[in-house]
Amino acid sequence: MESELERLRKKVENFPSASLYTRLAELLRQEGDLVGAEATCQRCMREFPRSAQAYVILAGLRLDAGARAEAAQLVATAVEKEPRSYHALRMASDLASSPAAAIRHLQAILAFKPGDAPVLARLKELGAGAPAPAPAPAPAPTSTSARAPASTPTPAKPAPVQAGTSVPLDLPLAMPSPVTAAIRAATPPKGAALDALCAEAGVRGACVADAQGRTVAAKHLDGQDDLLAALGGELLRSASASLAAAGTGAANAFSLVAAGGQVLAFTRDHQLMVLVVADPGVRPAMLELRARQALIDLGAT
Amino acid sequence: MDEILAQLTRVRGVGGALLVSADGLTMASSLRSGIDENALSAAIGETIGTAQRVTSSLSLGACTGFTATTDQGALLLLATGPAFVVLLTDTGANLALVQIESKPLVERLGARLAL
Repeated sequence: MESELERLRKKVENFPSASLYTRLAELLRQEGDLVGAEATCQRCMREFPRSAQAYVILAGLRLDAGARAEAAQLVATAVEKEPRSYHALRMASDLASSPAAAIRHLQAILAFKPGDAPVLARLKELGAGAPAPAPAPAPAPTSTSARAPASTPTPAKPAPVQAGTSVPLDLPLAMPSPVTAAIRAATPPKGAALDALCAEAGVRGACVADAQGRTVAAKHLDGQDDLLAALGGELLRSASASLAAAGTGAANAFSLVAAGGQVLAFTRDHQLMVLVVADPGVRPAMLELRARQALIDLGAT
Repeated sequence: MDEILAQLTRVRGVGGALLVSADGLTMASSLRSGIDENALSAAIGETIGTAQRVTSSLSLGACTGFTATTDQGALLLLATGPAFVVLLTDTGANLALVQIESKPLVERLGARLAL
């Protein structure tokens, strides 16, 4: 019988994605193949430079090997790449050189995962309570097709760095390290995440919206991106309410078919949603694959 | 109509069927026990209204179908005449097969509503 490891290896070769790479790396790590796990992480970082999870796994490997400073550097990069990555922020908190920095990383988690019990417990251990709800953030700039997610944690005032540490985890979350700045310079803007999706036959345009229905990135929607993001979010909420009335969980995707076209939506962890406007009759299976890849490229966990 | 809905629930993967007006009023129902059909119809009416707002805002014409999926099953809305057939599917149901197998029954319902 084919092992889970072999099945995953084949899947990675045929349909490479950041999430498959990281699952494979985790599995290799569990099996004790640390060299294989590291090689898989490195390959993921090369092929999917926006994904943070490979950095987190590699940081775990470095930590196991006793290289704490290197692990901290990797986690700092992961946090800068995906400021809403739960695992990266948890690890950053564990590796932070001061309680203030640890608290700030944990509070960043509560900004998108309020009430998370392990985080609240850790905050209590560190002697800090949950932060007060933040005011609504200002609208993102609209001059480009790619916008920063409005719920990205606001950089906090840096805590004092303890003497003798070279770990940059006390820096504000939005301040890139030289390594990350170089990676960012070498990677395309967020709107490019929708390129492959919009290149599919029959796709008229697409956008990415956050959980509040605000546009994160858009392509070919001729100014209708904000409307689509808002109404798509509303439709997903309404469908979830209907599903709740039927006794099932929240919707993670929908397809709306009309005489003159269709609207498809795919979410990942209910944080980001890709909305696609397509011609009638376009088959959604390939679009779903492309949409989910776009979400991974944009840093959905 | 109840008989046709009962036949719909016998389609493999379908766990319940409901016929609702576009404004969320129950017209016929064949749901498993434990589901409040009026609460479900009202929520469905809201979903239909939002779906129609989306298609109208994007100039896509009349909404003919809607599918929402979860890890535990899916909700299918199929327009038939002035009403919508609601199908609740189980986890792992083949949605394409459900739509193919339920299509003649949904058309029969539409023909009844047109009389």
